[in-house]
Amino acid sequence: MPHKCVKCGREFEDGSTEILKGCPSCAGKKFLYVREEERHADVLEEKPIESLAAEKRESLLEIKPQRGQRPEFYDRIESIRILGPGRYELNIEKLARSDDMVLGLGKEGQYAVDISSMGRPSGKPARPSRKKKKK
Amino acid sequence: MSFLIRARKKFSRFLRFFLKKNRSRIGIYGPPNAGKTTLANRIVRDWTGDAVGPVSEIPHETRRARRKENITITGTNGGSIVIDIVDTPGVTTKIDYHEFLEYGLDKEEAIVRAREATEGVAEAMHWLREDIDGVIYVLDSSLDPFLQVNIMMVGIIESRKLPVIIVANKIDLPDAAPARIKSAFPQHPVVSISGLEGRNVENLYEQMTEFFG
Repeated sequence: MPHKCVKCGREFEDGSTEILKGCPSCAGKKFLYVREEERHADVLEEKPIESLAAEKRESLLEIKPQRGQRPEFYDRIESIRILGPGRYELNIEKLARSDDMVLGLGKEGQYAVDISSMGRPSGKPARPSRKKKKK
Repeated sequence: MSFLIRARKKFSRFLRFFLKKNRSRIGIYGPPNAGKTTLANRIVRDWTGDAVGPVSEIPHETRRARRKENITITGTNGGSIVIDIVDTPGVTTKIDYHEFLEYGLDKEEAIVRAREATEGVAEAMHWLREDIDGVIYVLDSSLDPFLQVNIMMVGIIESRKLPVIIVANKIDLPDAAPARIKSAFPQHPVVSISGLEGRNVENLYEQMTEFFG
């Protein structure tokens, strides 16, 4: 159990590759090495991990952000992928950014672009139009 | 004619500018089946005696955002706010009609439900961008909070600089672990409640008057 996230205190097993991408809970990039006997020191002494690190004068492991680590799914151009009747994958990051609707059809390579959604003034809800133009 | 439309738009924007100052629009967000509508009903019933919408154990019961306006909430500290509550469809990254078949829906019904639920997510995200001043993010405390969709949604809410209260709901369940939610989102206030039983909701009201006031 050698590492704890400085921000949220989540523990990571020895040799865990998870922390290389930053803490999955809070996206923290700094981790403190903790020995097995000091594993619960932060809870028992009610101290934040940062002050424990300062006390022990141990350097923190800092993960440098790397490009291209986002899951492939969220780099897709479509807001919604229609896998079949009643089966959908939603790209909520894209949906949060704009109402422009690009729909993916089937597994890959086919898209439907809802042009009317792109000319829609802001303030109207993002209901996918039934009239779709295939590209 | 277009002059009239333009004038009306300007006037409504002018009005909205003043109204927004005293009335925040609070969106209740979260994954499907976290208890968003149960909580919205609880809030609306406690302060107006009314209800927002029906609840069900089948996920994606709420497939259109529902709004209840002009709710005055008073905390135990005496603070008071006037808000509009927007109950939104559950946000998720995958919707498959097969999931609904397990609840006894026939195939056609399930496919229609999946389609409407997908439209509902798009609508929920639209309102988050256009029309929401604060967020109550509801999570089922008997489930793992470390899901990609939760981390992403909280990230999106943070990036829009909206105040957020995380609600660890369903603490009446025997395997509820609200502490897990607290450790997942240490950067935000977390309130443990049972929307169904009304346990600890007064604490939520107090936090709401503080954060959304």
